[in-house]
Amino acid sequence: MQGAKFPAIRPDRFGSREVKHMRRIGILGVIAALALGAVSCGKEKPHVAASQKPATPVIGVSLLTLANPFFKVMGDAMQAEAKARGYEVVITSADMDPARQKDQVKDFISKKVAAIILCPADSRSVGTSIQEANQAGIPVFTADIACLDKSARVVSHIATDNFAGGKLAAEAMIEAIGGKGKVAIIDHPEVESVILRTNGFREVIGKVKDISVVAQLPGGGMRDSAFKTAQDILEKHPDLDGIFAINDPSALGAVAAIEKAGRMGRVKVVGFDGQPEAKQAIKEGKMYATSMQYPDKIGKLSIESVAKYFAGEQVPSETLIPTGLYKKADAEQDPSLK
Amino acid sequence: MRTPKAFPAAVSMPAILFLLCAFFTWATWTEGAPSGREGGIAVAQEMLRRDRLPPRILVVGGDDANGRAFVEAACEALATRTEVLRALGTPQQVRSRVDQVTADLKTPLVVVATPEASAWTLWSSLRASAPDLASLEVLGPSARGRSAFLSPTNLRNVADQIAVIAIIAVGMTMVIITGGIDLSVGSLVALSAVATAWLIRSMGGASASIGALVAACAGAVALSGLIGVFSGAVITAFRIPPFIATLAMMQVAAGLAFILARGQTIYDVPVAFTSLGRGEAIASLPNAVALMLFIYSCAHVMMVRTATGRRIYAVGGNAEAARLSGVSIARTLLFVYAVSGLMAGVGGVITASQLKAGSPTYGLMYELYVIAAVVVGGTSLSGGEGRIFGTLVGAFIIAVIRNGMNLMNVEAYTQKGVLGLVILGAVLVDRLRRRRSA
Repeated sequence: MQGAKFPAIRPDRFGSREVKHMRRIGILGVIAALALGAVSCGKEKPHVAASQKPATPVIGVSLLTLANPFFKVMGDAMQAEAKARGYEVVITSADMDPARQKDQVKDFISKKVAAIILCPADSRSVGTSIQEANQAGIPVFTADIACLDKSARVVSHIATDNFAGGKLAAEAMIEAIGGKGKVAIIDHPEVESVILRTNGFREVIGKVKDISVVAQLPGGGMRDSAFKTAQDILEKHPDLDGIFAINDPSALGAVAAIEKAGRMGRVKVVGFDGQPEAKQAIKEGKMYATSMQYPDKIGKLSIESVAKYFAGEQVPSETLIPTGLYKKADAEQDPSLK
Repeated sequence: MRTPKAFPAAVSMPAILFLLCAFFTWATWTEGAPSGREGGIAVAQEMLRRDRLPPRILVVGGDDANGRAFVEAACEALATRTEVLRALGTPQQVRSRVDQVTADLKTPLVVVATPEASAWTLWSSLRASAPDLASLEVLGPSARGRSAFLSPTNLRNVADQIAVIAIIAVGMTMVIITGGIDLSVGSLVALSAVATAWLIRSMGGASASIGALVAACAGAVALSGLIGVFSGAVITAFRIPPFIATLAMMQVAAGLAFILARGQTIYDVPVAFTSLGRGEAIASLPNAVALMLFIYSCAHVMMVRTATGRRIYAVGGNAEAARLSGVSIARTLLFVYAVSGLMAGVGGVITASQLKAGSPTYGLMYELYVIAAVVVGGTSLSGGEGRIFGTLVGAFIIAVIRNGMNLMNVEAYTQKGVLGLVILGAVLVDRLRRRRSA
């Protein structure tokens, strides 16, 4: 055998000390098990006495990510609403990974949850997972992001009305720049919902003769990349009057670029989302307005839809939640701001 | 003491896996009622044990395989003794059926339902809706103890979930045994998945032939293998640390995936393509799991029985000694990085097949899970030692923890923490063992 040639590298070269090591590793295993046990003890006792009454139905939720406060707020709202309605919610995070989300849905199926709510990590890839849940007879709902696979059955989709939100942002922009001038859009066309926002914005702005959209450039949906895009736009258009950014991080990037260029006040910024930092910027007059999304309403409504479904009521296949404009007057009365 | 001749980690990691399984079996023990055919028969027998059968029974289930089997079995058992009506569908459909049934006749109705359907709030809302229905009786099969973890479907589920990570970990084990690391595998999963979907799309899309599918998969795996060879070449030719070289390739592969897919998901693939990742050709073993077991067996034989395997251990154990005894270090390294690339390519093809689409966002952070599986499995990050089947155990430990915590309703943040602690614990053990044996 080859092993004879290389005696020093046989994988079983350890001998006498192994018992101690085994003990050590064994102890570690016990500690790990105890740690998990501690985690489980916080929950209800696993042994429930048999009764005719079925246990609390569980709703499995897989959110896109929990790193973004938007989804955290949505998840918390689901938790609260479910508790009020006698459901238990399990919230998992797909961490933006479609394969991870697939695993979570499989776990939900083998756990036999009553219903599943998803924020798809990928609108196409999620289709196979939803089909599997369909086959297992578990109703699936989507929140915030839609499934685009036509062969998958989704009971109901609950999301922001992004098109109307874009229109609202356009109205704020018209007001901000006094009905005439040049505006730019910081875009992120990779995302379906963002396309709806810019379409809504353009529809309203396009009807105003004295306003022209001079640029529509991708800003990556993030503050640092939007900052660079805004710098380029400001450089090219010294007479720019306003910037519509498709989300608040992009808007804050634009604000930073305007500040750096020393054109604060001359270029008005309208964002989308309603994140705390953007609200603060509106209060300080750095941003004009933002088209507010309500993740809490999305969360609450998705649980409501699940409850309605099980009560045998009609559930609309799509519910769009309108955005609201948030301006300086709102910020001044907002107790959550400094 | 030389008699059980084995690695400490190889002995105790399966023990830890066993303990974890036992723990989750206990922790996910719940009262669940049987569903499907079994449940239908059980509830019918319960009903038949009564002194007087109700004049009419409505048997209710969801319109899925499980629900249909339940309703079929219950109706069959009850039909000779009383009037049996059936209702299959969503709660809303069942509601209109109940309305229809109660409108016809005014005799009290008894409902027999699947465990899922008997939990519907429909029943309480029906009771509240009309005085006729106030005493509506709903009977489901009675609950008995079952473990959500230790069920055949869930165990298959665990194996299926980890197959991709475990397959990539075969290549990573070899790389780490040589003392290297391959950070590019996650991006290669994305690239391979995108390349597969892209090739299928350009060879007929949704109506592509089986030959085209095979060619597309082979092409994507070969592409990943080539990138692996390139990493290996850069590492050996210019003596660039593997960490840096594969970190760069991670970016390159991710970039290529985004370019090829133009930032979008490619989904024009035929349904037949999903049979690779979702089908079950041998018994009821998912194809991905069968492939994983096959790859592990081959890799194990190669590492233990062949000269190539010996060379891999030799290079990691002591490169200088290996060189002096005539082992070509460059060729060995080239080989392991090629294998690592190929395995990541296979993982990408399986992922694309399971999700019926290829997206550049796949494979995010996979390199870390793969490395964790290898290290938890007892392979030392300093090279020279490790076992292929140890890695399989490591991968399963991670899979079982992830699955078990999901079944136990552990919060997402806590899950991350626990998984991290387990990985840290394994590395700690590795360190302690090293210090002792040094």
